[in-house]
Amino acid sequence: MTIDSKLAALFDQARQTFDRDVFLAGIMRRIDRERRRSILVWSCMGLVLVAACALLAVPVTTAASMASELLPVSLVDIETEWLRLLLAPINSVAAAIAVGVIAIRKFFGRISS
Amino acid sequence: MLVGLARSGNRDAFAEIVNRRQDWIRNLMRRCCRDPALADDLAQQVFLQAWRSLRQLDDASRFGPWVKRIAINAWLQHKRRNDPLRDAAASDEAQAAARETPALAMDLDRALSALADDVRLCIVLAYHERMTHAEIADFTGLPAGTVKSHIRRGSARLQEALAAYLETGEEAE
Repeated sequence: MTIDSKLAALFDQARQTFDRDVFLAGIMRRIDRERRRSILVWSCMGLVLVAACALLAVPVTTAASMASELLPVSLVDIETEWLRLLLAPINSVAAAIAVGVIAIRKFFGRISS
Repeated sequence: MLVGLARSGNRDAFAEIVNRRQDWIRNLMRRCCRDPALADDLAQQVFLQAWRSLRQLDDASRFGPWVKRIAINAWLQHKRRNDPLRDAAASDEAQAAARETPALAMDLDRALSALADDVRLCIVLAYHERMTHAEIADFTGLPAGTVKSHIRRGSARLQEALAAYLETGEEAE
């Protein structure tokens, strides 16, 4: 079905030419406002990040040093030197945590599938 | 070239694009909604959205259809928000703009506003944008058969409402 040519001509005649400057100024003002808001948001986020880093630096460092001391601790004391070295990768707190994480992921994966 | 410059963040290039395309988009939005102030507000939102998403436009030569899609989405979103009070509002700004609107455009917009939203959109896209039924179906998400019947029904209503203009082409001016 084609469109009615007389009606189409009316639509053409109804097309207007507008005052462009006010409209353009309105858009550019909105763009500027949006850019200023975006700069403000990023600045605030940066400040919050810096403040968080400053506040959390000491607790994070302490936790990291505690973790570095705790993770290699052996779970079972093995007296034989070569056996202790052989089992070192799995005989530690870190290994136990890794195995736990893998087991939990598999468990939830099986439940959700 | 202008689109390429605007994509790299050049405001002057984007301003030039707005200058070149604003009549088209503003006319399109006015046909969609009767309130000229609302139409201009929506048209500004269209260009603002275009500025935000310009980097997502892969092919600069497709800028026109891309902006048209943004405009139609802006209108559909506005309708979805369902703000009848705002549509009907006869603000001072709207009244001032209406005074500057030619009689034909006012009568056409009045006749269009009597149509259901979907019918009006199909009619505007068919007559104002000269889009095919398939294109309208693609843009609006309506089935092609629905688009066809909307256009047939809407055309009949418009022919009836604008009979005076259609009978005497001279009056249109």
